[in-house]
Amino acid sequence: MTLLLGIFEEGLIYAIVALGVYITYKILDFPDLSVDSTFPMGAALTASAILAGQNPALALFLSFLAGAGAGCVTGLIHVKLKVRDLLSGIIVMTGLYSLNLRFAGGRANVPIFNQETIFENPAVDRLIPANLRPFTVVLILLLIVLACKFLLDLYLNTRSGFLLRAVGDNETLVTSLAKDKGTVKIAGLAIANGFAALAGSIYCQHKGFFEISAGTGTIVMGLASVIIGIQVFCPDHRPYLFRLRNRTFSLRPTAAVVAGSVIYKACISLAISLGLEANDLKLITSALFLIILVISGQRRKKVKRHA
Amino acid sequence: MLRLKDVSKYYHGGTVNEMCLFRDFNLTVDEGQFVSVVGSNGSGKTSMLNIICGSIPVDSGAVYIGKECITHMPEFKRQRRIGRVYQDPAMGTCPHMTILENMAMADNKGKSFNLRPGINRRRIQTYQQMLAALGLGLEDKLHVKAGVLSGGQRQAMALLMAAMTPIDFLILDEHTAALDPKTADTIMELTGKLVREKNLTTIMVTHNLRYAVEYGHRLVMMHQGSIVLDLSGSEKEAVRIQDLLDKFNAISIECGN
Amino acid sequence: MKKSMRSIKILTAAFLSLSLTGCAGSPPSPKDGSPAAGQEDPGQTYTIGIGQFAAHGSLDNCREGFLLGLADEGIIEGQNLTVLYENSQADGGIASQINVNFASQKADLICAIATPMAQSAYGVGKKQDIPVIYTAVTDPVAAQLAGPDGSPVGEITGTSDKLPVTQQLDMIRSVLPDAKTIGILFTTSEVNSLSAIEEYKAAAPDYGFEIVDMGISATADVPLAADALLEQVDCVTNLTDNTVVASLPLILNKAAKKNIPVFGSEIEQVKIGCVAAMGLDYVALGRQTGKMAAAVLKGEKKASQMDFQVIEEAAFYGNTKAAQDLGITLPDRFTSTAKELFTTITQ
Repeated sequence: MTLLLGIFEEGLIYAIVALGVYITYKILDFPDLSVDSTFPMGAALTASAILAGQNPALALFLSFLAGAGAGCVTGLIHVKLKVRDLLSGIIVMTGLYSLNLRFAGGRANVPIFNQETIFENPAVDRLIPANLRPFTVVLILLLIVLACKFLLDLYLNTRSGFLLRAVGDNETLVTSLAKDKGTVKIAGLAIANGFAALAGSIYCQHKGFFEISAGTGTIVMGLASVIIGIQVFCPDHRPYLFRLRNRTFSLRPTAAVVAGSVIYKACISLAISLGLEANDLKLITSALFLIILVISGQRRKKVKRHA
Repeated sequence: MLRLKDVSKYYHGGTVNEMCLFRDFNLTVDEGQFVSVVGSNGSGKTSMLNIICGSIPVDSGAVYIGKECITHMPEFKRQRRIGRVYQDPAMGTCPHMTILENMAMADNKGKSFNLRPGINRRRIQTYQQMLAALGLGLEDKLHVKAGVLSGGQRQAMALLMAAMTPIDFLILDEHTAALDPKTADTIMELTGKLVREKNLTTIMVTHNLRYAVEYGHRLVMMHQGSIVLDLSGSEKEAVRIQDLLDKFNAISIECGN
Repeated sequence: MKKSMRSIKILTAAFLSLSLTGCAGSPPSPKDGSPAAGQEDPGQTYTIGIGQFAAHGSLDNCREGFLLGLADEGIIEGQNLTVLYENSQADGGIASQINVNFASQKADLICAIATPMAQSAYGVGKKQDIPVIYTAVTDPVAAQLAGPDGSPVGEITGTSDKLPVTQQLDMIRSVLPDAKTIGILFTTSEVNSLSAIEEYKAAAPDYGFEIVDMGISATADVPLAADALLEQVDCVTNLTDNTVVASLPLILNKAAKKNIPVFGSEIEQVKIGCVAAMGLDYVALGRQTGKMAAAVLKGEKKASQMDFQVIEEAAFYGNTKAAQDLGITLPDRFTSTAKELFTTITQ
């Protein structure tokens, strides 16, 4: 039970990163490494804001905005200065490392154990009955993740959202529609990094401290979640997930990546429980990652051949 | 209407491989005119279209639409007044979006892509009528992703989408070249109908001499960056495919082939 | 390799001593009740989770010492103790999953090695009512693992590996009576280094020194920063800064060319060529921590009833070969009480 709750807590926090990575990797086809630094940026800003007596919910909002700003910078470097996508992300990631330390008041580790957070405050204590206490964190996280998912779904179905989907699908068409594809990419990166920073903010409030190394591997987790989610729940070759009494059910990609994130965390947890040599964990992660990528790559090729 | 004035374009400028594509190239297209452009590979047909659309910059000279000079206008801004259909049918639609979504996007060209719903439900019927006019049965497949359509169906949609909103120009860049002969004929018929109905100023690059002869008010043959044949009016009416082939051969012999 | 050899030695020593004590008096079967574990339920077995933040020589030593400390109190791995060991590879996300995992396996206690692991364990332990004993946390107060006065903030306590700064300064002063400046290289992102530097700066004037610090942000910066630092100082002293320690051979090499002595902060550094160190014995630190954990496991004391502990008396480690190369003699008052003297430089 504890383990299951733990998996959901971790999975849901990173699900928000996964939603962002879904935008960059799947929609924009842009390998954006800046999330590795926007995630801890959200955490750093949150720790500082909360210590300064700001409302924890406001810290979430602030983090999102700051992340979006950083995403814009990645986008501007790529679009206006014509730096390659991967490098733009690396530049922002590297630079933000120093800035993050500044945001955290020059410290690499800022504890906020005794402060109010979105998970621990009088309102939560009042609203949630005692027998549901153990589920408080998961419930709050679920609420935030669902809100993010639905907002993203809504956005992707607006005119602006259409353009975002189009730019990853067919850049030429966006130009044909008399729109600047660069601006659209910048907007997409802004949303994606906003999500990453939001997740960082939640992470910090959940764990009770900011740590500069918290961002290491964020992109890997995000990518793994997206790829697992999409492969398992909405593969190209199958228009629906399962069929029940002649009705078909499928998951939207946004829901799929959220599920993917939980599955990924479950895999890691399983690896730890099975007592796999702790030192091999990273190797296992990367091997798992490679296998998924190769399988999905082959499948994509097959689909293309049939088309 | 459209004017290219003294346009020059070099590739690999400043190196030993410098290649001159256009030197002081001039072309004027009148409003409502349908121009077919033919020429061998490397004669500069597609580059000319790219210069008009702003996909590649010019080294000197100017491009005008009406009285307005658009030489330095970025590509995406020019596209507001231009509809372009590419040789590759995949270029005109978004494969992972549905037919309806593609149509809705094209319908919104020139307007703001804001946070209003992507699909205007009141327009769906109009889209269906437009698709029905293609005669390909697409009106019943609104929620199918464009990526699963055949090349001909996609190209028909691309044509429809390019000319959905009011435009000054239609640019057709060998838009039938990737299709089988029968589908190519269908698309060409649709093109003719569309251009007539909307009275569009059109430049069509093609390798198909039959289409060049059958369609359009004017026929231009290009060779090595310059116009070697420019027929309109009764001359255009009278021209036969054989005449064009003879001209082609004559040019090739001049080149020593 | 060197480290693993050392670990093997220590472990063999531990097992030997355990088996010896086993033969000597306390019967191997816990049913009869060993003298060390007198007041506890004889059939009692324990499960603990040891979460280590990163693979690192000193942290490994802590872990070994911790198990020794438990063994001292009659809680022996394989007999009445099950140890779940995980290493987070310096990944914060993994760290918290490791702790959740410990909780789900109903660990009686979590031993957290290094600050981020301790903070993560604190968060999990608080929710699941699992006591946490940490070690190798340099500044528990700054990490909010202890109250401002050092008192516990919950069911969490442990040991700090704070550097014995004044003792180190005192030692450097007697080794180098004429030195004026001490250089310190540190990584700007390591909290422990920042607080140590501040302490050095505050204490240095008392010993007639001036501290020149130089921050780096990554291993790649070490060569240039070391060159710049060596231009300005009479000697160099090391912290337990992970990035800098990893590049220590390079720094030693550069310093040797300029005939500048480098002082270490723990045994491993002296072994590879630092002149001397007033340092922590991480095995001893771990052992002390293990004893605290044993008290909690046996129910003698709650974690919330114990303040965190520091090792008061630092041990002297010297390397006579390194000193000789620099033309320095190590004062007798240190060498005579040295915990360990090396006569060679291990490469």
